[in-house]
Amino acid sequence: MSSHLPQKDSQTRGNNNKAAINIALAGNPNVGKSVIFNQLTGLSQTIGNWPGKTVEKKEGHLNFSGYHFNIVDLPGIYSLSTYSIEEIVSREYIVSKDVDIIINVIDSTNLERNLFFTFQLLELQIPMIIAMNQMDILRKRNIDLDFNLLQDLFQLPVLPVVAVHGTGVHHLLNKAIEMVHPSETNSLTNKNSLRSPDLSQITTFGKEVENKIILLVQIIKNSLTKGDNKIHYPPRFLAIKLLENDEEILKLLNNGSEFKEAIEFADEYRTQLEEYHGEDIHTILSSEIYKNITTIIKKVVKIRSQKELKKASIADKLDHLTTHSFFGYVILVLVLVGIYLFTFTIGDLLGGLIENFYNNWTEMIYSVFGEDYFLINLFWDGALGGFFGGLAGVLVYVIPFFFVIEVLQDSGYLPRAAFLMDRMMHAIGVHGKTIITMILGLGCNVPACMGCRIMETEREKKISIALTSLVPCAAVMTVVMGLVGRYLGLGWVVILFAINFSVILLVGRILNKIMPGKCTELIMEMHEYRVPNFNVIFKQTWMRTKGFIFKALPIIIGLGILLELLFIFNILEPINVILSPITVFWLGLPVVTGIFLIYGILRKELTLVLLSLFSANIGLTIVELFTPIQMIVFSLVTMLYVPCFATIVIIAKNSSWKYALQITFLEISLALLIGGIVHFGFLIFSSV
Amino acid sequence: MVSKIKKEKEILLESTTLKKCLTECEKGEEVIVLNVNAGLKAKRRLANLGILPGAKIIKKKDAPFRGPIEVIVKGSSLVIGRGLASKIIVQCDESCSS
Repeated sequence: MSSHLPQKDSQTRGNNNKAAINIALAGNPNVGKSVIFNQLTGLSQTIGNWPGKTVEKKEGHLNFSGYHFNIVDLPGIYSLSTYSIEEIVSREYIVSKDVDIIINVIDSTNLERNLFFTFQLLELQIPMIIAMNQMDILRKRNIDLDFNLLQDLFQLPVLPVVAVHGTGVHHLLNKAIEMVHPSETNSLTNKNSLRSPDLSQITTFGKEVENKIILLVQIIKNSLTKGDNKIHYPPRFLAIKLLENDEEILKLLNNGSEFKEAIEFADEYRTQLEEYHGEDIHTILSSEIYKNITTIIKKVVKIRSQKELKKASIADKLDHLTTHSFFGYVILVLVLVGIYLFTFTIGDLLGGLIENFYNNWTEMIYSVFGEDYFLINLFWDGALGGFFGGLAGVLVYVIPFFFVIEVLQDSGYLPRAAFLMDRMMHAIGVHGKTIITMILGLGCNVPACMGCRIMETEREKKISIALTSLVPCAAVMTVVMGLVGRYLGLGWVVILFAINFSVILLVGRILNKIMPGKCTELIMEMHEYRVPNFNVIFKQTWMRTKGFIFKALPIIIGLGILLELLFIFNILEPINVILSPITVFWLGLPVVTGIFLIYGILRKELTLVLLSLFSANIGLTIVELFTPIQMIVFSLVTMLYVPCFATIVIIAKNSSWKYALQITFLEISLALLIGGIVHFGFLIFSSV
Repeated sequence: MVSKIKKEKEILLESTTLKKCLTECEKGEEVIVLNVNAGLKAKRRLANLGILPGAKIIKKKDAPFRGPIEVIVKGSSLVIGRGLASKIIVQCDESCSS
């Protein structure tokens, strides 16, 4: 089967009838794919989800040299197996008709591991360009790469790139144009073979394995001719995956009976190979690929001079410090505090500005229209109130948050935190990466729950989401500090925190027991520290903020309108009465708190805001309204009772609506349980 | 009929008196992986990342409080949870402080 390049004459997409070229960026995590993506697409990026999946999809476009480029930045992955949903999504996308060229971004300072993925990509037999990134660092280490030899060995264009400087990035596009439209470009090189590489002729493995693959490919080719299957994968890829017992491919091929023979033979060959080598099939195949890579490295890597960099670089020293048995934890706490302060300060600042803006306009509007104009109320208080509330309440914390995530991620600190905390995290049923999302949750649960995507298994993701949503966010802390902290002293704040974290521990252990499957062990690559690329970070922060504004905010506004309607039609009073068995009897709180807690679902700090407004309205101070125990119960309930609405939406998008509702129900139950215990416990205790 | 390669491997494993698991290695020690006794999924993941029988790895450090282990494989750092690391059987390269 000779390789083919897609027919481009009839396909014109994009603006101005320019021919379109579709590119997928693929590579390991942290190789600089995002930097290249940012260079190419600038602000045209959108971050969404792959349809029906909870994996992030980053796309963008640009016009260059008369062509319209659609670029997709695939998630960073190490192979194309079924280890994670990212791998499955990536390989399905690459073989769909939507990709013309793959650009495999490689970290040239980490060649061995990166090339493993390259071999995986080759099996998909899509035209590919290898982009060797971080060439500047390689040169500093006095190492040279023989690009010509690399191109010969892989039969693919291999281009040097320094992504952070922008060097070589547009050469990638030129090469892509050459490859897709060879007739239209007058290439002066004599490397004509590169423009239409025959990728079916690669031999990656040793003789025994390749022989089996050849036999399987024959059987599969026969099966493909029977029936009208729409299978996009090349026969060789299918052969290899069947040998590996790949679940997804088996699912795909088990539909008809055409492939029964192929599957049976694959099983037989696998057994033979495993017997012969004394290892399981994955070990065999991976070994052979790495053997191949070692041979290639020996040929193409040239170390210019033998001077070793003996002095420990700053990155090394920082690494040592941040994973130190004592200082490591000190730094972790400092980072936590820093995140908090950063979010609080910026959030409060921006929030204050927005509230002032809104209040000034409110005054003006009411002075013109009076207070009872229905439509004005609905629009201004409800919709716009919801909008500004969403802005002042959630977005102003979310923005500094996205920023901090990106900085921590880009600099490389987060894996160090996971390294330090993995052991302790096992006590609550997750591994080290969850500490990352929980740290983020201290500022705002919304991006933190989004961050739970980094978990590899569904089980881990679900447990992480549950625990992260229980972490008290900045908004919750506003309530606790403003109520308990202010009137009862910081000692009580600490106690409430302790109760909250005990709950997290408990929920973690319980979920660990009842959820099927075991906690997977931490396997994580830890990169060298590097200076964060603020260009990329600002763009990413903006992209995520945009995504958030268009997804979660409309729902928050909708809820704001709903609540305003309820208020106007006086449905709120009855709600208080309906809730009183819970609020008054069980929790021992004043009857008005029903409404505060309902609003709290929208934004947690509304519980305190409304309380303050109410007390101001009826001329009583908060101390007169609430007894100390009531303050404690009220704060506890606010901390635990429900993820804020934006969080619920995010959980639904990252897992499922069913799970989001389950968590909501769980947290309501927990809050009521603990609130009730404290309330009645105190009553019993004080009557003794 | 047992294959020749498999037999050679078994002999090697049994005769090696200097084998131990990754958690027992010293900081900075360079070792060769003999065997990974983990479940299929973890084993495969490790294989993809380069931890295979015959691979040379350097143990960089332990996390405090018996936490994960950091090793250098194929030129970059990997962090592996302690439970999994204890299932990776390695052979000391040169002189070993047993």
